Amino acid sequence: MNGWNRALWLSALVAGLAGSATAGTEAQPSTAPAAASAHYAGAPTRTAIVPAEAMRVIRVEGNEPLLDPVSPLWAGAKPVAVTMQPQAVTTPGNPQPAITTLNVRSVHNGHWLSLLIEWKDPTKSERVVVDQFGDQVAVELPVRFRADAPPNPMMGAPGERVSIVQWRAAFQADLDRKREMTIRDNYPYAQTDLYPDQVLNTLDMRAYMGAGGVDNPVTKHRESPVLDQVAEGFGTLTVKQHQEADGKGVWKDGSWHVVITVPMAPTTANSPRLEPGSQTVAAFAVWDGGSKEVGSRKSWSDWVPLALSK
Amino acid sequence: MPKVYNWQIGREMEYPYAEARPRKQFAMIMDTNKCIACQTCTVACKTTWTSSRGQEYMFWNNVETKPYGYFPLGWDVKILDKLGIQDVDGPVYKGKTLFEAAPEGERVLGYLPDDLDYAHPNISEDDSLGNMPQGAFITMPHMQWMHYLPRICNHCTYPACVGACPRQSAYKRPEDGIVLIDQMRCRGYRECVRGCPYKKPFFNSMTRTSEKCVGCYPAVETGRQTQCTITCIGKIRLQGFISAPDKAREDNPMDYLVHIVKIAKPLYPQLGLEPNVYYIPPIHVPAFYTRQLFGAGVEHAVHTYRKAMDDKKLLAALLLFGATPMILDRFKLEGDMAVGFDDKGQEVVRVPMREPTFLRVAFDEAYKTHRSNIT
Repeated sequence: MNGWNRALWLSALVAGLAGSATAGTEAQPSTAPAAASAHYAGAPTRTAIVPAEAMRVIRVEGNEPLLDPVSPLWAGAKPVAVTMQPQAVTTPGNPQPAITTLNVRSVHNGHWLSLLIEWKDPTKSERVVVDQFGDQVAVELPVRFRADAPPNPMMGAPGERVSIVQWRAAFQADLDRKREMTIRDNYPYAQTDLYPDQVLNTLDMRAYMGAGGVDNPVTKHRESPVLDQVAEGFGTLTVKQHQEADGKGVWKDGSWHVVITVPMAPTTANSPRLEPGSQTVAAFAVWDGGSKEVGSRKSWSDWVPLALSK
Repeated sequence: MPKVYNWQIGREMEYPYAEARPRKQFAMIMDTNKCIACQTCTVACKTTWTSSRGQEYMFWNNVETKPYGYFPLGWDVKILDKLGIQDVDGPVYKGKTLFEAAPEGERVLGYLPDDLDYAHPNISEDDSLGNMPQGAFITMPHMQWMHYLPRICNHCTYPACVGACPRQSAYKRPEDGIVLIDQMRCRGYRECVRGCPYKKPFFNSMTRTSEKCVGCYPAVETGRQTQCTITCIGKIRLQGFISAPDKAREDNPMDYLVHIVKIAKPLYPQLGLEPNVYYIPPIHVPAFYTRQLFGAGVEHAVHTYRKAMDDKKLLAALLLFGATPMILDRFKLEGDMAVGFDDKGQEVVRVPMREPTFLRVAFDEAYKTHRSNIT
């Protein structure tokens, strides 16, 4: 059976198994969740999606990653309208997603593959508190692409690893702020006392800092506004130890313009090697923070063929 | 969905994971009749665990006044309203649990609170049900009443947070049943915040992950009771380990009070999570209210509590609350002493059933002075 069917079969097979997932490292992505990930009854069935036209990735000059959403280098790349479908395979689902189309174009310079992803969003969502979620978009590439057997587009499957680079508006805001975030960035009138890290030594204080004390990558991400990740199916998403992807997002006049760029000759085994003149596929997922989309409450696309110019 | 057995509702129910009870189950009993809402427990928990960035608004332990107080705002009335009126009478729950009532595409029936719902932790503190009319006098139960409800994470047997998390970042420890959110694995989706009906996972806007009561596991692992328990001024709490009903041990104070004497009841058992924090119901509050809060058997619990003076063994168990910081695995009544033992069989506390009295003479010969009564 093909990768997509196999994912569903595996989900049904492990139904009823209890236990907690392992923390997961890059070599051993964490175990997939059981039971509840099976296709839930009453979900909209996966209608035949008209495959997106192939995206031609034109070659441009340069050695550095292309990070500027308004660079003239994008002009020669033809955008492709990617259909985004509701996530309805695993729970919690998102039957009525906010974003149904992404406009994507792509260039490479032999060293970096860059994608410019644009979509309409009247609300710029970057403040993350309990009832507010940030805007996000992600690009998925198979780590090893085989034209006759593409991996499961739904975050891969065991043995079919995918590389997922996720840009977050909240990280973009962190970087644009150019200083450490404080509680007053979210709550301007907050009054606070001393924090444990202001009175305890480095070793002792980490126990009282929650995720900040264990260097959770979604907490402090200083390198770039993107998370460079690998996955082998739902619930296995793991942040790579060495971050090589980069990106930049700009919101203007009711639209997001986000660049995500990946090295074509990466140093880790969990990132795809991309050769000029070769083919691969890419898929996308997007979250509208303003509609409280996060995690599996997203819209996602099927594979879009990519043809890299020589 | 797998079927699991929930003894508090007297039947099997659906849950995203198969039944897997821990080797020991962390549990706490709170005597609401002794709580004075001094909030010492709240401050103890806050200064221990939630003094860091993003945790400023969190109260992993909170004490609210019923009927009109809540933290976050309306947490219980909102979920009861969403679930709809259910038949809670009788030993077997005939209504739906939160898992059985989960809408299409969701794992549990829940909702995400507004940010501002957390801005009023003391709302309606000390407000009673209504005004006393002119000339009224107190009856039992009170016609106008209020009571305090101290709350922590219930470390449920079937946690909604564990069931809701799509990444299995929330988990239940097999060694002691304490429920934790893995701070390395969490990505801040807040499915746990949506799912938990008691609203005890909290989202940290600085770390962008969700956090919750950790059951003071570093203390519990070394045989010490939780911070909120040992600092309680009124000695209303006892923390220990509870067994499943069919394995209840009469000399385990938790099993004795919950399973045998049945004086301590779970909080909103009809939601179906099998919470492990148990309450001795307030004796002055009418049963029509406490039955919704604690389930069937509240009248029996109140009746038993009011006659505790006639039951020496029950009184011995109650006197061990707040008597020692160590977790008691076993207790016994030895003459006129309540004795508690840790899990290694060591005696850790001995409480006299009757407080010793000393008569002091009115005129002290040694100091040549009178003693006066101080009131």
